Amino acid sequence: MIKIVKDTTDHLLIEIEVSEANLGNSDLFKSQVVQLLDRHKKTVIIDFSKVEYIDSSFLGALVAILKHAMTIKQDIILVSLKKDVHDLLKLIRLDKVFKIYPSYNEAI
Amino acid sequence: MATNLKTILLVDDNQLFLKMLSQAFKKSGIKCITAESGRHALEILSTTIPDAILSDYEMPDMNGMEFRQQLMDNSSFKDIPFVFLTYIIDNDLMLKGFDLEAVDYVIKDTPVNVIVSKLNNLIYTVQKQQELSKSEIKKAAEALNVKSIPTKSPDIKGFDVDFWHRPYQDIPGGDFIDFIQANERYTFIVLGDIMGKKWMAWFFTFSYLSYIRSAIRFCILNQDYSVGSILQKVNDVICLDDLLKDILSSLSLLMIDNETKAISYAGAGDLPLLYYQAKTSQLKQINGDGLLLGLFAGSVYTEQIITLADSDQLFVFTDGMIDFSDAGGNKSDYNSFSKKIENTLADNNSFDEIKKELFEPLLAVQVDDCSIINIRKTI
Repeated sequence: MIKIVKDTTDHLLIEIEVSEANLGNSDLFKSQVVQLLDRHKKTVIIDFSKVEYIDSSFLGALVAILKHAMTIKQDIILVSLKKDVHDLLKLIRLDKVFKIYPSYNEAI
Repeated sequence: MATNLKTILLVDDNQLFLKMLSQAFKKSGIKCITAESGRHALEILSTTIPDAILSDYEMPDMNGMEFRQQLMDNSSFKDIPFVFLTYIIDNDLMLKGFDLEAVDYVIKDTPVNVIVSKLNNLIYTVQKQQELSKSEIKKAAEALNVKSIPTKSPDIKGFDVDFWHRPYQDIPGGDFIDFIQANERYTFIVLGDIMGKKWMAWFFTFSYLSYIRSAIRFCILNQDYSVGSILQKVNDVICLDDLLKDILSSLSLLMIDNETKAISYAGAGDLPLLYYQAKTSQLKQINGDGLLLGLFAGSVYTEQIITLADSDQLFVFTDGMIDFSDAGGNKSDYNSFSKKIENTLADNNSFDEIKKELFEPLLAVQVDDCSIINIRKTI
């Protein structure tokens, strides 16, 4: 579901390994990222470059992860979103909630 | 036997056995994914959920029992029907396996066609049981007379209001609609979408609807007819409700004033409304500015006043209307949906005609609940 790409002193870079982020994998994604946040206690940067489609269940999981990160004073950053995925986030104003960058290098 | 193409995950360190068994499954119409170890199987499970798992007991590194324990520790995997494959006939071992909710044991010496039939029967039985459970829940919901979608549209002088709703895979889901005629002057139109799908989302629609209905009633009692203020109250209460922790919803809330004919609107994480101006035949977006309900307490929802001229129309809809599946997989495309609406309106189609020509064909490629409300100012 996710792969840890980089582990630095202040953040983790993880990559979502599926192209369809949906109801079938949203619970697993949420539990894996929440575990990482609790274990590493640092900002998690999520690379979306492989994700072509995201459904509302997965968006719900993403928001739940952000809320969890905020309670432990950490942050979630989204990078490399495909246009369709980014457009959907903008349409429902989630771009006001998440920090979103075109690429990992621009996020750090 | 299983009707749709089902997927089975075979786990065995013996490559020859894997190949032989997977060919036999394929011949019987079951898709096979193979893993040579428990660890490899866990990697596969992180991207694919099969209909059943058939795993060897004796494997190096992680034996079948340890693999099963790892699955039991993960809520996403623990309910996948699991069958042990073994040479060992040991009653204690079998009991241990059954304690870990393994459905059955298959002795490896069993003829391959019998193994295939056994698994085929298991998948079929589980599928039947799931269908039966769904049907029981549907019956219970009908008996309780709980509905998240109204049976008819409201009568509002000066407006035609209609709606179209189809649940995904015929299972009630997270979309909800309500029409609340507060008094002779004000009618509220509610369209929401709990994030998620099917039963889990459906159960929460009633909590949300209860809060929304209560907030509207309280605001009416206080003569506060601001939809923005209603949304703020609903959001603040939901953020305090521990049972709704992590349950988010979009909401489009509109209020038609029958005296002034003005429509006030505020949106929470909802898709932009589509406003059709009959005089210019143009379709424009109306954007709400509020965040999803349940996200942050204290969020602000700005109210907008929409004044429709005669024959102007508004379309309010959930994300299922813009999601579809094609050969390349699932997609979301707001602009293409908007374009289709614009084209059909150019032909002067009524909402009934739009339903038939545009919405009904969408069902073939539907991937989520679909809901849309149409408000038309009459002459």
